[in-house]
Amino acid sequence: MSIHLTEEQALIGQSAREFAKEYLDPIAVELDHSSQYPTAVVKALADHDFLGLFLPSEFGGAEAGFVSLVEVIENLSRSSAAVASILINHSIAAYAIQRWGKADQKKAYLPALAAGKTLGAFAVFEHGPTPGVGPDALQATQQPEGWVLKGTKAFVRNAGVADLYVVLACTDPAAGGKAMAAFIIDAKASGLTVGAPFDTMGLKGCPVADLVFDNVIVPATAMLGGLTEGQAIITETLAVASIAEAAQTVGIGQAAVEHAAAYAKTRVQFGRPVSTLQAIQTLLAETATDCHLARLGLHEAALLLEQGKPFQVEAAMVQQFLARFGAKMLVDTVQVEGGFGYSEFMPLPRLFRDIAGTTLLEAPADYPDQTIATALLA
Amino acid sequence: MTLLSAEQKQVKQTAKDFVAKEIIPIAAKLDKAGVFHPQVLDAARESKIFAMAVPREFGGLDYDALTQALVLEEWGYGCAGVGTTLAASVLSMDSVLVAGTEAQKKMFFEPMVRGEIGSFGLTEPSAGSDAGNGKTTALKDGDEYVLNGSKCWITNGQFSTVFVIYALTDPTKGMKGLSAFIVEKGAPGFTIGTVDHKLGIRSSNTVELLFKDVRIPVSNLLGKEGEGMKIAMMTLDLARPAIASLALGIAQRALDECVKHVQQNYPDPKVAQPGQTLQFKLADMRIQIEAARELLHHTMNLRDAGLPFSVESAMTKTSCADLAMKVTTEAVQLMGAYGYTSELSKLMRDAKIMQIYEGTNQIQRLVISRAVLAPAKPAVAVQKGGN
Repeated sequence: MSIHLTEEQALIGQSAREFAKEYLDPIAVELDHSSQYPTAVVKALADHDFLGLFLPSEFGGAEAGFVSLVEVIENLSRSSAAVASILINHSIAAYAIQRWGKADQKKAYLPALAAGKTLGAFAVFEHGPTPGVGPDALQATQQPEGWVLKGTKAFVRNAGVADLYVVLACTDPAAGGKAMAAFIIDAKASGLTVGAPFDTMGLKGCPVADLVFDNVIVPATAMLGGLTEGQAIITETLAVASIAEAAQTVGIGQAAVEHAAAYAKTRVQFGRPVSTLQAIQTLLAETATDCHLARLGLHEAALLLEQGKPFQVEAAMVQQFLARFGAKMLVDTVQVEGGFGYSEFMPLPRLFRDIAGTTLLEAPADYPDQTIATALLA
Repeated sequence: MTLLSAEQKQVKQTAKDFVAKEIIPIAAKLDKAGVFHPQVLDAARESKIFAMAVPREFGGLDYDALTQALVLEEWGYGCAGVGTTLAASVLSMDSVLVAGTEAQKKMFFEPMVRGEIGSFGLTEPSAGSDAGNGKTTALKDGDEYVLNGSKCWITNGQFSTVFVIYALTDPTKGMKGLSAFIVEKGAPGFTIGTVDHKLGIRSSNTVELLFKDVRIPVSNLLGKEGEGMKIAMMTLDLARPAIASLALGIAQRALDECVKHVQQNYPDPKVAQPGQTLQFKLADMRIQIEAARELLHHTMNLRDAGLPFSVESAMTKTSCADLAMKVTTEAVQLMGAYGYTSELSKLMRDAKIMQIYEGTNQIQRLVISRAVLAPAKPAVAVQKGGN
């Protein structure tokens, strides 16, 4: 499968690794401590064409495809998964516009997104079990002056730093989550405010906050896709996001297992390196295996997506796998490093906090199971 | 839950109330600050809870092992960092319980009864799982021992008044030359080194202890010279269920937080309920927590009955620690962004140390697998000539 990368994909992955060493390794620890959005690094991502990697060349993108994108995300995540989070949320907003945008919308937004002049964000969640049903669910009402948006989107990544948001709003309170539509909203729109950033466990530096819409008025042309297409946009875009986040998880896991293996060779107990103990070898072997199998799965899903084939079941399977084995990669590699591994002067605690956020933010816990089972039972 | 006596139930309830009032409201703040605040213990002093393991003749509460486990579960439920402060202090006095003379017990336990805390110092950079590989020495000089070296990752170190320190009285004999000593705060040459910052249990104090020509009277030697390893192992047998209790408290808290979250999302079960995937995850958490609690309480019953419990001690530490890690990870996932931005993430970080300290779960499995593979003893003596 696609694990045999083309020459171009391998080169892009390699350049992302070099980028990460040059730009991310020096700031990753400080970023984790300060949670300050890394403006300069995001500009460097843009300068290296990573922000428009999969977008068509007619809009200024690199048109390098989704396998390249996941290669980049994995390689960035090995150094800073927080920076990868910024890239992921930007990319899925761009994906939605590229996939459902009308010709003039694409022309209006994609070149700036591809060049990194505009940072995007995708806002789907609300405070409540599913979007469209909670008391402060974002409602869009059609008025003579355009669509009027009122309500809250929750836990939006890149909130406050993005220039545009792709938001999902309910157009019919009676139908709730079944009547969702997507809108492209300028971050400077009147009536739109960003809540206080959430204190996240990890992935610090990628801001997460609520977006509060107080009668934000947008023209009818701001709607992305059709009036009833919101649910399809949510499902497909989140499936794309889950592939990207799987690459992020694998990047963190790969960095962790490499660090733990190197550490185990130097840590001497009972008169020999702990790497010679079978129990330690098993922890390393299981982590490396989980990482490898997840990578195979996510590459397959990315390739299917790239080829325009159905990919959502495969994406859900990777998500399902990582829901069970993603966090375990860090639970086990910290274990290899013992008391040292638990200390914040060592690198794995940051990775432990980061990986807990890469396997869960983009879908409810039972989403992958439902997707897979529905396909099986169809 | 195990059938508890009226007194045990009452102690559990008192601990629960104390934790709800004094610990839970400040746990997130303490975690964020990442430093131990001694005033956390002000409220605990009055209750003498830090002397819960001290025998009554020394003025302690003299709780049985099961009751101690009940208290520690509640403290773990409130904040495993503050719980670790209590558990580590109990751990330090376990060595004195195991090997101390009456005079030594008096010396060590009196501060506990006053609400002060203690530390247990075995680990060194070169002696983690390989506990017998320490380099700290205590060489005899007249009627004193002279202590030189360092200990690392010592809980409470900066705030303890009494310490049990393990050091080599005969460095040529390796772990057979290890001995245990009571060392008091402020002894000349005894200083605090690095203060550690950790992934979790951040409200507990973890430091390096430095000893430079620290002179301690021979009367502070616990047991005999060379008995250090034996005392340490007996101490850890007593102490591991304390970690199991904290871990169990973390797991129970994670389940309770999940339930609260689900009930908020589905306020009226007649209108809407979470799917079976989610419901069964909660059911599994409950099953595993109950089973782990039974093993812990069984272990405590064995100890209270004076029966061997060393293997059970290792099993309960392993199972409760692994459970806490599993349940907290699932809870964070189940609650999604809410889990990742709430105190649940603290539970997950706190849970991780449970698999590491007081003997890693790998060391526990070593102990357990030796017992598993030991030749089985026949249940009934085989009679010659029988059928």
